[in-house]
Amino acid sequence: MSRPGWTEVAAGRPPGSGARSLAYVSPEGDLALWNDHEEHRTLLVRRPELSAEERAVLGNWRAGRSGPAVVSVGEQVHGYGVFTFPYGPVAMGVAEAGGFEVRTYGERILEIEPSVGHKRRGIEEQVVGKTVEDAALWIERRAGPFALSHAAAFRFAAESAAGRPVAERELGVRALGQELQRIYNHLHVLARLAEAASQNVGAAQLNALAESALRALGATFGHRWGFGALVPGAPGRRLDAPDRTDLEARLRRLGSEFEALGETLLGSRTFLDRIQSTGTVSTEDALRWGAVGPTLRASSVAWDDRLRDPTIPYREMFVPVVTERAGDALARVLVRREEVRGSLLLIEQLLDRWPRLGGGEAAPVEAIEPGRGIARGEGPSGDLVYDVRVSEGRIRSVASRTPSQANWPLVALSLRGAVFTDFAFSFESFGASFAETDG
Amino acid sequence: MVKSWLGQAAAIGILTTEFPRRPADPEELPAAARAPGAGPVALASLPPEVRAACPTGAISLTEIDQGKCVRCARCLPAGLVPAPDASANLGSRAGLRWPDGRPPGGTGPAPLAELGPSLHVFLVDVGSCQGCNLEVMGLANPYYDLHRLGMFFTNSPRHADVLVVVGVPTAAMVEPLRRTFEAMPAPKAVLAVGACAIDGGIFAEAPGRAAAVGEIVPVDLYVAGCPPAPVAILEGILALGRRRSRGPAP
Ligand code: SF4
Ligand code: SF4
Repeated sequence: MSRPGWTEVAAGRPPGSGARSLAYVSPEGDLALWNDHEEHRTLLVRRPELSAEERAVLGNWRAGRSGPAVVSVGEQVHGYGVFTFPYGPVAMGVAEAGGFEVRTYGERILEIEPSVGHKRRGIEEQVVGKTVEDAALWIERRAGPFALSHAAAFRFAAESAAGRPVAERELGVRALGQELQRIYNHLHVLARLAEAASQNVGAAQLNALAESALRALGATFGHRWGFGALVPGAPGRRLDAPDRTDLEARLRRLGSEFEALGETLLGSRTFLDRIQSTGTVSTEDALRWGAVGPTLRASSVAWDDRLRDPTIPYREMFVPVVTERAGDALARVLVRREEVRGSLLLIEQLLDRWPRLGGGEAAPVEAIEPGRGIARGEGPSGDLVYDVRVSEGRIRSVASRTPSQANWPLVALSLRGAVFTDFAFSFESFGASFAETDG
Repeated sequence: MVKSWLGQAAAIGILTTEFPRRPADPEELPAAARAPGAGPVALASLPPEVRAACPTGAISLTEIDQGKCVRCARCLPAGLVPAPDASANLGSRAGLRWPDGRPPGGTGPAPLAELGPSLHVFLVDVGSCQGCNLEVMGLANPYYDLHRLGMFFTNSPRHADVLVVVGVPTAAMVEPLRRTFEAMPAPKAVLAVGACAIDGGIFAEAPGRAAAVGEIVPVDLYVAGCPPAPVAILEGILALGRRRSRGPAP
């Protein structure tokens, strides 16, 4: 198999002892991906052998597949006075059907285990037998705020499986949609954190900016969450020259308001006090538990799947990869702030070259085996993997590993020993979603 | 610090919508958030492929079921046209079935004066994609500012007048939903928001779907869409407020 940014190595365990993290294991166990952080490449291993630690990682990714279960990062804490209380699955602080098992003896959180699986709809089972276009309707509704990264990775995987080329213009649409959605998500996370810190004016302004990002998506794709946006020639799309000028104007406005707001927010001592040294994730834990996205990058690891994206828009544009060292909620905030700027810059480049985006077709990436494609993509909360089998135009199987699944163990670790009032600052800074986890 | 926040707020100016004093505009209600209805072509004469392509079976020869529709827009190029109005997304379960693809009766935007005392809203998610949750919570942002209408989100069902339900109920969420409803003091009303909460939407046949929301708690009003736009949800809450100020629902 030859594919840019990917290296297939011999069966068993990937060679060497450098920094790497597990990125995906297929449900059949016949194939695994590791991120090689030294060579910045994806390692593909057939018939992989997992260490005990890696099996624990995999167990957490798969938690909740047959009803509610907890994500666990070690032995449970027991002892005199220690009690467990469940938070959720109906709680405004979570705002989703999901929860936490909290072990405590009072003020401090001894241990916290995310409780996932409440929202399991069984999407990947349900799409078997459907056409790729039909299945995309289900896949994008797994998690609304991340719809476009899922739809794009799913489509890339299915195209690779079927050996079907993609119109170059569609690649531009996918990149544009994903960057807009990244901006929305980062703004939303920042707004939630400002709310948690009772920075009411700032939170209101960030929420207003998040709404203007949704409106930009709505104006561009006819849908505020981008459902259906990636259907080739979708009727709701508005991407002609005047529409692009309008989008540029919206984003310029958003960008300048965001700059002023970012300065004020990060100049606020009360806000910084709450997020600095809160929810710290070490580089070691981040790699060991397979963290992805802003969570990983805020803990010093420069992995961004857009760099390895083989498709034209990302390959030909400057993708700024942002890292921070401290690994705390503040570091994740700083990464997200830079990434809003980065996405605005990417969209600017993309719209600039839009008229030159060829009317040609791009070959799909090489299939993993006949009829089976694997694609990766960088969603707002981190990289995701889709593994899709297609034959005779129908889906035969779909499996995935989502950013939220990968990051729950770090949410859990970041809250060990924290006081209850830190909960929101840590939890919100990861941008983890129960909907995306459960599928 | 406070000065600079307020300075920025002043520079940005007023964002808040005039809705519901005036109808929603395309900014607030993009095409895919509106109800598809019959255009020049009668339902019965639509090409059969249009019905076959509908992922939820919302289009029959005689009606469009807005409750099932996920607003995927596949049927639009074939002659169906999006309704102009946010209130086209509201109705009882039966009221969302549009004979011949036309709304059965108008529920126009509400005059503010009719709204009852302040309303407290509690959101419960029973298996959503988060799209509906975020559109509901978005009502608090300065563009919609539901506080100006005397409505507030509350953190506890014990303080809630209106229960907003989103998502397709999974087995794990049936009991939590029932208990949340029971914890609310009377009088109370339930608003089911989004295709998932109405009739399962895209997940009507999903292996994880356990029931319809209406089988678990009594639903007063449905807001169609996938997700419905915030203005449509706002209409829904306003409509419940009006009903409450007049006494129990008929
Ligand atoms: S927009 Fe609604 S009615 Fe039309 S095809 Fe999609 S689900 Fe069916
Ligand atoms: S109705 Fe649509 S937007 Fe709402 S939860 Fe269901 S899939 Fe998501």
